[in-house]
Amino acid sequence: MKLDTSGLESAAPLVGASSGFLDGFADAPSFEVPTTNDFDGFQKEAIQMVKPAKGTTTLAFIFKEGVMVAADSRASMGGYISSQSVKKIIEINPYMLGTMAGGAADCQFWHRNLGIKCRLHELANKRRISVTGASKLLANILYSYRGMGLSVGTMIAGWDETGPGLYYVDSEGGRLKGMRFSVGSGSPYAYGVLDNGYRYDMSVEEAAELARRAIYHATFRDGASGGVASVYHVGPNGWKKLSGDDVGELHYHYYPVVQGAVEQEMVEVAGA
Amino acid sequence: MTKEHANWSPYDNNGGSCVAIAGANYCVIAADTRMSTGYSILTRDYSKICKLADKAVLASSGFQADVKALQKHLAAKHLIYQHQHNKQMSCPAMAQLLSNTLYYKRFFPYYAFNVLGGLDSEGKGCVFTYDAVGSYERVGYSSQGSGSTLIIPFLDNQLKSPSPLLLPAVDAVTPLSEAEAIDLVKTVFASATERDIYTGDRLEIVVLNADGTRYEYMELRKD
Amino acid sequence: MESNQAKPGLLCNPEASQRTLYPYVTGTSVVALKYKDGILMAADMGGSYGSTLRYKSVERMKPIGKHSLLGASGEISDFQELLRYLDELILYDNMWDDGNSLGPKEVHNYLTRVMYNRRNKFNPLWNSLVLGGVKKGQKYLGMVSMIGVNFEDNHVATGFGNHLARPILRDEWHENLTFEEGVKLLEKCMRVLLYRDRSAVNKLQISKITEEGVTISQPYSLKTFWGFSAFENPTLGAEGSW
Repeated sequence: MKLDTSGLESAAPLVGASSGFLDGFADAPSFEVPTTNDFDGFQKEAIQMVKPAKGTTTLAFIFKEGVMVAADSRASMGGYISSQSVKKIIEINPYMLGTMAGGAADCQFWHRNLGIKCRLHELANKRRISVTGASKLLANILYSYRGMGLSVGTMIAGWDETGPGLYYVDSEGGRLKGMRFSVGSGSPYAYGVLDNGYRYDMSVEEAAELARRAIYHATFRDGASGGVASVYHVGPNGWKKLSGDDVGELHYHYYPVVQGAVEQEMVEVAGA
Repeated sequence: MTKEHANWSPYDNNGGSCVAIAGANYCVIAADTRMSTGYSILTRDYSKICKLADKAVLASSGFQADVKALQKHLAAKHLIYQHQHNKQMSCPAMAQLLSNTLYYKRFFPYYAFNVLGGLDSEGKGCVFTYDAVGSYERVGYSSQGSGSTLIIPFLDNQLKSPSPLLLPAVDAVTPLSEAEAIDLVKTVFASATERDIYTGDRLEIVVLNADGTRYEYMELRKD
Repeated sequence: MESNQAKPGLLCNPEASQRTLYPYVTGTSVVALKYKDGILMAADMGGSYGSTLRYKSVERMKPIGKHSLLGASGEISDFQELLRYLDELILYDNMWDDGNSLGPKEVHNYLTRVMYNRRNKFNPLWNSLVLGGVKKGQKYLGMVSMIGVNFEDNHVATGFGNHLARPILRDEWHENLTFEEGVKLLEKCMRVLLYRDRSAVNKLQISKITEEGVTISQPYSLKTFWGFSAFENPTLGAEGSW
């Protein structure tokens, strides 16, 4: 099997890398593939052993003032919550964000890799890469690994020369341009809130509140989502984190505990 | 003769638990020293902790041969780094190197569960926690390995620090003193040893602070 | 065997038939311990072909260089291939003629690399290895498994020995065992294994390595007593069994 590992190497060649004494140690890194006939079977077994973190709600939408991006922060391995503090919104560069659903390592690694590629594009062309271009870079990489078991469901959101941009990219090779996306196990719940409340001409505050509410309601109904609801906004001057709220506390914000009217006061029974 | 060997596996689980706690000016990294396979104990005195740099200590459990290969790989990378930059690698740099190293074996993973503890450039304690294929995050405390499902809820209960994702940000540093943190680590291992068959025998603790590195040991149940 | 070949397993490769996917002729436990002056190791001489005791004088302990002693359980042919690698290693080391020689620690490390690299190629050497040695007054005793798991300890045992011999060793071993005490302890372990490990045979060797070098004993037998009441009518009172 031959994999495209171009772009994995570090830009500056390592001193002494060719002297031979490092013995291939400082060469450009590459992926080791197991010597098996049944690659799928091995992957399945190996993945079962290492149990990657899964379960997510992420969303992003374009509106009048830019793009709003939001996500929860839970990672679970089967029934066990392995983390409540995952950064599912990945800061690719000051003008672009990626979201994380599926395999945590797959998303993290390839977004890091995309960040490097975007920076190199910037240095080579003296201008920032378009969201269209960046999402296509990622989609092409993921497509080249298709069938090898990568699990990525991501949205690339950003602001470029053409204004706000939003793409959905996944490890099956899909790449969609759109105004409104939600990805992950909690997405049906998030879509429900999002589609119901969405208007193009919202203010930033309204949009942030919609995003936050959509994530909250997804964490409420989807057991695999939870933790902190983070909301980012990308505008002409780059992204900014607007809020990060513990959904446990958000619950009481959306559903304040109403003090029930006391119908009967408990009284000490006299002379019992 | 064929039946019992029909399914050869390149992996084994040798068990063991690792814990790391970051404080304002210290970091505590700990692991037990038991190594098992199935129901039998291979040895009671095998160190899972590897000091990679002055301010970066790695504790790993899982498949011992993979863990050892990973430790040696990182140690060699760090040696090259020292020759090229004439300095020790920082803990956050080592953290990303470990992440990439794990991911390069995405299709034939290291069966290793890692916690990296150390001090950052400001001398603050830092802990990085990983999955087997390299996703990582910086946290205030963490546990990995066979006993982690018992240890993490305990630490959550005792240390629960505000999430680093909160905005407005809340200071997330573990509120314990160094001595209190070491005591807590001893307690969680004593507890994990009671209920996890892969944890026990002896506890190895590494303490990093401004003065340097200090090793401590404590005996655990051997049954 | 038919059943296994009819349904190729996960790692079965019809073209690459050189892979050991299951062992043919195997040796059972090796037991070893540190004693006052060095290392003592014991292994029987049986070579099993499945459940058949096919060979009865297989040497499973060999000296490696000047300071090391290697014992193996598992596939005998893989062990013999490994010995050829080690012969070459020691030969090339001698050719430096610099007065240095590989010690047990180095050999153990080499074995670890070989075993782990072979498992990475999905082509394992089907052995559990025990390596003992003494160099510059330092005693050394370590183990390597088929997939590269390795460690050092004061006493080690492979296969069944891990279940039956090591509890005895943990109970009775101490730092200052004399040669006689060490041999007695090993014989106790081997006797228990003989009683309960069906592939063990009553023909064994005990080897010793000290600063002076390796000595491997002539094959001999242990005195056994099969008249224990548990052996005479093992199912007495166990209703419903044979």
